[in-house]
Amino acid sequence: MTVDPSTATADDNATVECPYCGSTDTEREHPKGPSLCRSMHFCADCQQPFERFH
Amino acid sequence: MTTNAPLDGGKACAYTDYESGDVPAEYPKTGADATGTEAEVWEALREVEDPEMPVSIVDLGLIYDVTVEDEQCTVEMTLTYTGCPARDILLNDVKCAAETARSVQDAEVRLRFTPEWTVNMVTEAGRDDLREFGLSV
Repeated sequence: MTVDPSTATADDNATVECPYCGSTDTEREHPKGPSLCRSMHFCADCQQPFERFH
Repeated sequence: MTTNAPLDGGKACAYTDYESGDVPAEYPKTGADATGTEAEVWEALREVEDPEMPVSIVDLGLIYDVTVEDEQCTVEMTLTYTGCPARDILLNDVKCAAETARSVQDAEVRLRFTPEWTVNMVTEAGRDDLREFGLSV
């Protein structure tokens, strides 16, 4: 589901690993995080939001 | 009405496009084979951390070269992206760190954007530090 057109990026299908539990059952919520070199993700396994460093 | 909105309806910066790039063989440089004063400068740079994350800028792969000649040190470095807001902080931290080396009188920091920094330049130790901080790499 894409709510906002700005949520599309080149690595849309990349597998992102949760830094807390290691699960790859994660979803990117937004390409922009608290700084431009981080994006927002959510882990479906441990129900934690996390950031990815680009 | 005056507005800062882009004239093309916002297309110019609709999103941030992250791409992973290739890393030239000699990068990231960590100063592992440096000797004398240059090794001392690398050691000092290792203590400099990213202002947002507890990871050394050396492990982030930001330092491209360290040379010392006649007590004058030159550090070549890059930033994770050109508009990095920590630019001034980092440049000053690196200059001050380099000048802590005993045989360095003055240090100059040169910014380079070639080769382009990518997340693949982060060392294994850097990846561990970032994960521990709660960031996926």
